[in-house]
Amino acid sequence: MDGLRLTFHLAGINNQNFLMRDDQTGSYWQQISGLAISGPLKGRQLTLVHSDELSFAAWKAEEPQGTVLQGVTKYAAQYEKKDWDARMKRAPVVIQFPEQGMKSRDLLLGIQAFGASRAFLYDQVVKEKLVRDHVGAEPVLLVVGPDGESVRAFRDRIPGVDGAADFYRMTAGEPGALLMDAPTGSAWNFQGCAVSGKAKGACLEPIAMLKDYWFDWRNYNPRTTIWGRRQEGR
Amino acid sequence: MNLSGRNRWSFVVLACMAVSLASVGYPIYVIRPFRAQGARELAAALAVCRFRPVLTVVSALVAIGAAIACWRAPARMWRRMPAAAGAALVCVLAALARVNVYELMFHPDDHPAFAATSEAKLDKDDKLIVVKVGGRARAYPIRVMGYHHVVNDMVGGTALAATY
Repeated sequence: MDGLRLTFHLAGINNQNFLMRDDQTGSYWQQISGLAISGPLKGRQLTLVHSDELSFAAWKAEEPQGTVLQGVTKYAAQYEKKDWDARMKRAPVVIQFPEQGMKSRDLLLGIQAFGASRAFLYDQVVKEKLVRDHVGAEPVLLVVGPDGESVRAFRDRIPGVDGAADFYRMTAGEPGALLMDAPTGSAWNFQGCAVSGKAKGACLEPIAMLKDYWFDWRNYNPRTTIWGRRQEGR
Repeated sequence: MNLSGRNRWSFVVLACMAVSLASVGYPIYVIRPFRAQGARELAAALAVCRFRPVLTVVSALVAIGAAIACWRAPARMWRRMPAAAGAALVCVLAALARVNVYELMFHPDDHPAFAATSEAKLDKDDKLIVVKVGGRARAYPIRVMGYHHVVNDMVGGTALAATY
């Protein structure tokens, strides 16, 4: 930031979302938002680097040349066990937003873009495999990967095609292809790129998405809407 | 109220103790796990954290000075002891004000090491946070990130902090 490389460490908690402190200025930053909330850099915003949450199998297939963080041997015994997500679902919460039938630990995929916030229940998305929806006025796609558990979001716009493309899930076809669009008849893979058809070589614009629990998402996105739920009084 | 010299210095030590105790105790009280944090109290607690290293040192110096003045005043030994003990406590609090419990509990991975995908010892359903920057693909296993929470890294020439 301003030519200074900041390095961070965990230094506190704010309603179960952690606070980081940078070693250079001592400012405190909110993890979920990347906003400095206290200290000399208060009000400054870190730039979000696009990331995805994928299974190792899905990522390995896409990025065989990639590199993976290795654990530190002396902390190995303290790393999370395989059932960490099941245990987290049972952990207590300190703030609650019992709205629209949501439970505090409901796992969701949150998108904050195009001037709006929208939450998609993870289990429902995985069941549907392809979700076509809007965030604000912008058409978006949520696509479940070939592993049946990794999810990516894209802007539903194909270069040269007016409006939202009419994507549907392919049940068979060339390897790696998951979707087909009606306007161009092209096949698209989980990375959002057309692998055959008129649009071959084009890629959809990825959208940042956060896998989060309802209480945390709702706390930082008070005007969020929820896919598949009637928005009452909002 | 007309305080004698010794009582006046004792009162100064007491005030320094109160300031130091509040500087150490208030942030611990507000920023503790499994407690809801209000925006204002959190801002106040973080402001205290920011300024307490200086505040508690000043308190300690003032308390030491007051305890010395109290010690020199004519009185029996046992009546001098509370001010001295109070000044010692303020010094301990000045040291504690430099300790962040969270920084003791959570160990960042300051020297992250990476393995090629083919050599990674992971199960196929292990979850990863993945990025691709400057043509370089990097993955952070969530089971590892769930302990360190923050990894300061450099990917494709870009400095980034991976957090979970």
